[in-house]
Amino acid sequence: MSKQFQFKGASEMPMISVSLGDMDWNKTGTWRTQRPFYEDKTPPCSAACPAGNDIVAFIQKIAQEDFEGAWNIIKEENPFPGVCGRVCFHPCESKCNRGSFDEPVVIHALERFVADFASRLNKKTGKAGEKRKEKVAIIGSGPAGMSCAFHLARLHYDVTVFESFSLAGGMLRMGIPSYRLPKNILDRELSNIEALGVEIRTGVSLGEDLRLEDLKDYQAVFISTGAHRSRGLHIPGEKEKGVLSGLDLLKKINLSKRVKLGDKIGVIGGGNTAIDVARSVIRLGKKATILYRRSREEMPAFEDEIVEALEEGVKIRYLVNPIRLGQKDGLKRLECLRMELGEKDESGRRRPVPIPNSNLFIDADHVIIAAGEEIEASFLPEGLEKKEGIVLTQRDGSTGIKGVFAGGDLTSNQRTVAHAIGSGKKAAMAIDAFLKGKDAEGMIIQHLIGEGPSLSIFGYLRPGERLRNPHVVTFEELNMDYFEPAKRQQESKSAVKERIKGFKEVSSTLSEGVALDEAERCFSCGTCNECENCYVFCPDGSILKREELFSHQVDYDYCKGCGICFTECPRGAISLKEEAK
Amino acid sequence: MRKTEIPSIEILGHGHLACAGCGAAVAMRLTLKALGEKTVMVFPASCWSIVPGFWPYSSYRITAVHAGFVTGAATASGVRAALDVRGDDETLVAVWAGDGGTFDIGLQALSGAAERNENLLYICNDNEGYMNTGTQRSSATPLLAWTTTTPVMQPKENPKKDIMAIMADHQIPYAATATIAYPEDLIRKLQKAKGIRGTRFIHLFSPCPPGWKMASEMSIKISRLAVRSRIFPLYEIENGRNYTIQEESRIVPVKEYLKLQGRFNHLTEKDIETTQRNVDDTWGRLLRKARC
Repeated sequence: MSKQFQFKGASEMPMISVSLGDMDWNKTGTWRTQRPFYEDKTPPCSAACPAGNDIVAFIQKIAQEDFEGAWNIIKEENPFPGVCGRVCFHPCESKCNRGSFDEPVVIHALERFVADFASRLNKKTGKAGEKRKEKVAIIGSGPAGMSCAFHLARLHYDVTVFESFSLAGGMLRMGIPSYRLPKNILDRELSNIEALGVEIRTGVSLGEDLRLEDLKDYQAVFISTGAHRSRGLHIPGEKEKGVLSGLDLLKKINLSKRVKLGDKIGVIGGGNTAIDVARSVIRLGKKATILYRRSREEMPAFEDEIVEALEEGVKIRYLVNPIRLGQKDGLKRLECLRMELGEKDESGRRRPVPIPNSNLFIDADHVIIAAGEEIEASFLPEGLEKKEGIVLTQRDGSTGIKGVFAGGDLTSNQRTVAHAIGSGKKAAMAIDAFLKGKDAEGMIIQHLIGEGPSLSIFGYLRPGERLRNPHVVTFEELNMDYFEPAKRQQESKSAVKERIKGFKEVSSTLSEGVALDEAERCFSCGTCNECENCYVFCPDGSILKREELFSHQVDYDYCKGCGICFTECPRGAISLKEEAK
Repeated sequence: MRKTEIPSIEILGHGHLACAGCGAAVAMRLTLKALGEKTVMVFPASCWSIVPGFWPYSSYRITAVHAGFVTGAATASGVRAALDVRGDDETLVAVWAGDGGTFDIGLQALSGAAERNENLLYICNDNEGYMNTGTQRSSATPLLAWTTTTPVMQPKENPKKDIMAIMADHQIPYAATATIAYPEDLIRKLQKAKGIRGTRFIHLFSPCPPGWKMASEMSIKISRLAVRSRIFPLYEIENGRNYTIQEESRIVPVKEYLKLQGRFNHLTEKDIETTQRNVDDTWGRLLRKARC
C-alpha cells in the first residue's frame, strides 16, 4: 500500500535523501478534464447489411483463426451464410471504410469461407431445447420464411413451414442457377434449420390445399410467398408459342427437368433474372442475346454478373425495346424500337425514350421474357392490403389481420436474398413480441443496427451483451497510421470454356491462408480487437488489461485524460468526453 | 491483428508528475520495460528530476541516482566502476538526460565517457528545449522554432545540432535514434544496446505538449510525423561507421509535421520551404553516410 510520510523532526528522516515510498498515493486522475472510455460503435458494413450480419465480429474471429467462432457469430443473425456468401449483392462492401483507403474487404467471400469451413466440420445447429406451447405457421420456404422459422425456433416456438413446391428453398432453389448457388449448399443450410426442430411440409399450396382458416391451431402466421410471377411486357404476341417466362425456364432447369430450346434465344430484360437466363441458355449450348431498353449503366443486374455473362458469350443489345412479337419462317420475329436516354425517372436512372421510325427486327428460335417479377395475389387471404404490387405491412411486418405477418419479396420491392432474410428475422422478433404481449414496434426500434433499417436479433436474445453505440463509424474517425495498403483478395473463377460446359459453380471458396490475409485487412471499425495501442502508448500506465474480458479498462485513479488512447485507437473504439463537474 | 511483444512489466509506477500527454513519459515507460528491473539509471537535471515525484517518494521501481546537470555520463561512469568492483556485471548502468543535459550542459562529460568507451547506455530524451525551466532554447531546438528565448520576433536562427554525428565520430559501438510512435523499434534498439559492451547512445525523440504548444493527444501522431517527414529519421550507427536506416514507406512534407505545433505557427511559406530544404539536406547527408 502506498502511504505518505509525516516526519516529526530530522531524527525521523533517513541519513541521505533516499526515497522511502512510491507515488501511488498521488491520484493524478484528479487532473483530468476529459475522460476516455471504451465504447464500441457500429461498423458501416453491418449497418448496410439487410440481413443484419455482425460483419466485423465474424471477420475478427477469422483473423484470430477461430473459424467456428466466426460461424457462430454469423448464425446469430443469419442462417444462410453459404447462400449469402455466394449470391448476396454485398452492399456491405460498397460501404466498407477500407474502400476509402485502398479497396473494400471482400466480405462476401469471407462469409462463404466460414460457411464452407463449418460444413467441412459438418457443423450443425443444435436443437433449440424445450419448446414453448405456441405454434407458428410459415407459408413459403424461401429465404424470408426460413429465416423467420430459424429465429422463431431459436425463440423456442413450434414452427411449421408450408411450401407449395416439392422442395423447400423458394427462389433460392427455383430462381438461382446452380453455377451461382450449388444445390448442396442450399440443402445443407435448410437442413440446419430443420435440425432446430422446424418442420417443413412441401406440396401444400396456399389457397388450394391450405386456407388461413385451417391454421386455427397456430397462434401466428407469417406469409412469405414471394414474387414468382414473371411480369408481362404487354405487347402483342407475348402469349404465343415460343415465348417463355424467364422464371419458368430457371425453375425447369433447377428442378432438372428437360428443356427444349432452339439455337438462338432472345432474352428480354436487364435484371439479374435476364442474366441468369442468358447464362443458363449458354450452358445448354445455345446462343443468347439480351435485349435491354436502356444502356449498360442503367442495368439493374449486378456488375460482376454482367461481366461474367459477357465473358461466357452472352450478347447484349442496349437501347432496344420490343413492341411486337411475330413469326417468320418458323422463327420468332421481335419487332423493336431503338431507344435513347432522356431525363431521369423516379428510380434515378435515365428514362428510355423511343426514337420514332427506328423499327428493327430480331429473329430468334425462342424468346424469353425476364422483365421483372410480381407477386401472385390471387391465393392470398382476404384482408391483406395491397398497393403498387406489394402487400402492405406495418413496420413490424404485421398485416391488417391480427396475428398474420408478411415479409420477403411479397411485401417489398427490394427483392434480394439479404432483404428477405432480414425481413424474416424482423417478423420472428415481432411475432415473439406479439405472442408475449410486448410492443413490437418499440422493440424493433431498440434493435436497429445504426439508424436501421437493418436489425439485430442478438441484442434481443441476449440483452446487455456486446452493446454498441448506434453511431456508424466514418473513415475520418479511423487512424490510418496503423494500416498499410494491401491488395483485396478475390475468389478464383474457373476458365470460361470450363464454365459454359455445365452448371458447376463458377467461383471457388477462398483458401485458409487467403481468408486470413483478407481478414487482416478489416479495420474492425468501432470494435476493439485488442491491438493494444491504448495500453502501449499510455504515458500514465492507466490502461488495465482485463484478461478475463474481451476489452481493456481505463484506470481513472491515474488517467490524466491526455487523449492519446483516443487519437491512437486505429478503429474509433474509444470515445472522449468532457469531464462532468 | 498486431499483437505487440512489448514486455508487460511496469517499472514506471503510477502517480508520476509528467504533464498530460507527455511524450517522455511514454518513452520512459517503454524504456524501462525494455531494460528491465536490473538497471541503475542516472538522472542529471531535467524534467525527470521531478517527474517521478519529490522526496521522499519516487515512482521509479529501479535504482535511480539524481546527479548534477553537467555530470550525467561522469556519474554513470562512477556507478559502473562501483558495480564492477562489487563484481556485478549483470546490472545495467544507464543515463537518462534531456537534450539540455546532452547537447549543451552535459556534452563534455558525455564526450569524455564516450572517448573512454565507458560501459554505459546513455539515453538522450530530446524534447528540443529546456522544457522543465520554462521552455528556453537548447542547441537541440530546431531551426525557426519558437521558445521563450527565441520568441516569434526572432525565432531560432540555427539548425539543430547533429548529436548523432558527434557520437558517431567518437566511434562508440552503438548509436541509434528512436521515438515513441515506433515502440517495437524503440524496444528493439534498447535491448540491442543493452547487449553491447561499451558506450551506447540512444537519441530518443519525445514530443512535449506544453513546450511545443500542441494538443496533449497528439504526442504519438507528431512523433510519427517527425519520422515520416524525415525531420527525425530512424537509424542506427555501429562503430561510428555502419549506418542502417529504418525507412518509412509513407513520406510526408515537413509542413504536415510543423502545422500541428504552435511553436511553428509563425512560419511563413518561405520559412517552411527553408525547413524542408534543411530536412532534405540532412536526409541526403545521412543517405550518403549510409551508402559509403
